[in-house]
Amino acid sequence: MTRKSFPFLAAGGELKELEQPGYYAGYSTMAQKRNWEEATRNVVTARVEKTLSIRFFSQEEATLLGAVIDRVMPQDDRTEGRTIPILPVLDERLFTNSLSGFRYEDMPPDQEAYRLAIKAIEEMAQDRFGQSFQILTVHRQELILKSLHDGKPEPENTVWQKMPVHRFWAMLMEDCVTAYYSHPWAWDEIGFGGPAYPRGYMRLENGLPEPWEKDEQRYEWNAPVDSLSQLDQESAPPEHGSLHGHGGSH
Amino acid sequence: MPHYLGSMQTLPSPMHRYKENDTVDYCIVGVGSAGGVLVQRLARAGFRVIALEAGPFWDTEKDWVSDEKGSHELYWNDLRITGGTHPLALGANNSGKGVGGGSVHWAAFAPRFHPSDFRVYSEDGVGVDWPMSYWDLKPYYELLEREIPVAGPAWFPWGDPHGHPYGPHPLGGVGDVLVRGCASLGIRSVAGGPVAILSASHGDRPHCIYRGFCIQGCKVGAKASTLITHVPDAISNGAEIRAHAMASRVSLREDGRADGVFYFDRDGKEHFQRARAVIVSGYAIETPRLLLNSACPGHRHGLANSSGTLGKYLMVQAGNVVAGRFEELIRLYKAPPAHALSEEFYETDPRRGFARGFSVQTVGPLPVAFAKQMVAAVGAWGWGMRQVMMDYNHWATLGVLGEILPGEDNRVELAEEKDRHGLPVAKVTFNLHDNDKKLIEFGKNKVMEIMWAAGAQQVVQESRFAHLVGAARMGSDPSTSVVDKFGRTHDIPNLFVCDGSIFPTQGSANPGLTIQALAARTADYLAKQGDAIFYSNHRELSEPGIRYDLSPPHTRFKGNPRIA
Repeated sequence: MTRKSFPFLAAGGELKELEQPGYYAGYSTMAQKRNWEEATRNVVTARVEKTLSIRFFSQEEATLLGAVIDRVMPQDDRTEGRTIPILPVLDERLFTNSLSGFRYEDMPPDQEAYRLAIKAIEEMAQDRFGQSFQILTVHRQELILKSLHDGKPEPENTVWQKMPVHRFWAMLMEDCVTAYYSHPWAWDEIGFGGPAYPRGYMRLENGLPEPWEKDEQRYEWNAPVDSLSQLDQESAPPEHGSLHGHGGSH
Repeated sequence: MPHYLGSMQTLPSPMHRYKENDTVDYCIVGVGSAGGVLVQRLARAGFRVIALEAGPFWDTEKDWVSDEKGSHELYWNDLRITGGTHPLALGANNSGKGVGGGSVHWAAFAPRFHPSDFRVYSEDGVGVDWPMSYWDLKPYYELLEREIPVAGPAWFPWGDPHGHPYGPHPLGGVGDVLVRGCASLGIRSVAGGPVAILSASHGDRPHCIYRGFCIQGCKVGAKASTLITHVPDAISNGAEIRAHAMASRVSLREDGRADGVFYFDRDGKEHFQRARAVIVSGYAIETPRLLLNSACPGHRHGLANSSGTLGKYLMVQAGNVVAGRFEELIRLYKAPPAHALSEEFYETDPRRGFARGFSVQTVGPLPVAFAKQMVAAVGAWGWGMRQVMMDYNHWATLGVLGEILPGEDNRVELAEEKDRHGLPVAKVTFNLHDNDKKLIEFGKNKVMEIMWAAGAQQVVQESRFAHLVGAARMGSDPSTSVVDKFGRTHDIPNLFVCDGSIFPTQGSANPGLTIQALAARTADYLAKQGDAIFYSNHRELSEPGIRYDLSPPHTRFKGNPRIA
């Protein structure tokens, strides 16, 4: 994880590094693990404790993609020992060729897509700022990534003529949020109850917490004011709609 | 350790194993919603049956977890190519792999089709009529509602009004939003079902514990899947379920009748299972793929494809997800995702300017699924993603389930790419047409209106699709359809298709219950025909009469409650 000196101005001051961001201070899903059955406990505990090594990407690729992921799924507000691994989870997926069951006809295989995108992003950084992506300032990194998010790569790069940028972006986001929000520390951050078998839930209505859950304690949380990745409430919804895998809905 | 099917039930043991060169009566390909019901009934009726399943034979305690990412293996994740003007996301939400198939990860909404769904051409001049009526299927709806069984309101007011054998579930936060929003607009809704999840214990299956992981496979055993509702009884009656068996080709004899199925085992070794009749139950992608991959002299364009319609008229339902952010906490992860709905907009209303309609249903995405929806709905990334997800507990999600009409251009073909066995994978092409687009626009806006009416402060939506049916449709005319009304292929008298792929149209009800009801009816037909299926070319087309004695144990209720 590359730590950047972001001029944090959240919460009216500097965004502090937190053990646990979010509005559920003191809530821990892992503290409940003795109430989970064995198979679930093993899978979730391994996610927290096991370190995956990088086997698919080269070191150069991993460094660059790591810098991309640090902006796409930023964790600068998390303390060093509490950052959630994302790149190793993605690397594992590509190394084991774990697919989501389909490939768009105009997309290369996932592995090739990532390699092409890494090459394109590095070339875009060099073309636009004359520096490698990973040493650009946060703002410049975000400028490049925002152009991919918007589906209008700036500067143009030949890779995006071969590979639709919106499809790559959707896959990148899917991989990042899958790694982040499948981690129990992220569940603590958002107040998700986590595994609940065999115990189950009993307070179904009115957003009430179970006895072992915490109620929300809101405070004024804002993303770094100068970040380009803040939600834009005014902007139109993404033109291309839903491109990711649809597991877990209906 | 016993092999668990839910928290209380264990796999009957030992399972009968046929020898490599044994000939069975029926070889069924695929043990999902349809295959599970078929193998159970045919075994009970006394046939020698083997069912091949490409995926594993789940031990629910060992193999399943209360975890989104950890449940990836429930899906058909093998490569498929997707294209067209509106390419479909495949795999995760619309096909399963492993015994139970998609019924392992369905949300288990179990509404019936409406009588009008079987006559959309006659009533609305669109699509095509089914070669059978609602009334032919009704006794099987009632039967499966008891066998699964279905929990729901005592009075379901739409289509053919009916009640449900098990009582409705308590309302969760998302269901509350649906009911509130509908109520304030004067739209009728029902809550607590109809859903194939137990609201009270049933035989060796406990009631629901409301943990919300329905679509990650129900470890509790409260949600119905054929793995726990029908497969155990199939095994008790002598059927063999052969897991990790990927069918590659249906084989034909020189006289044009099927004589068995070639398949690969998990080590990649090819085998041949000889059978007197074959039923393909691989669902809307793998069924046409297998029949196309079975092309042989005399059937150059695939088996049962003299009409040229095999693989065509594939359908999905519009599945837009509307998310609303509320000031108060919702905690949408609690309670079954499927637990309240309205079918008030199901039927054609000429004032809307399009044919057919849609349902409004609850959905309950867990954090990973919800984060992906926020990518699509509001373009969330970076700090924006972190921020919107910190409000996860403030959001509620409702789904449109809309009828998309069958189009010849929406199809399954074979791609250039091959799978690990060297078999061409499926290529799926999907385009939306004018009526579909109008229906989606109207449905999406209506559900957004309901969300606002429920008190949401922000409402966004994600355009997407749900379910898969069609691609081997049934019909009376052999020149425009693949199978007859009992799933018998027009071309090969002892080759059947029975699964969602035989739907000519799809209504705006979730297809699971209808797939299972059709399977039970086909099984009754085969039982009535007896050995004639194995040698005769005579095609009997009268209804077989329902066999109540073929139900699994503990499911013989006196009847379905019907109040008023």
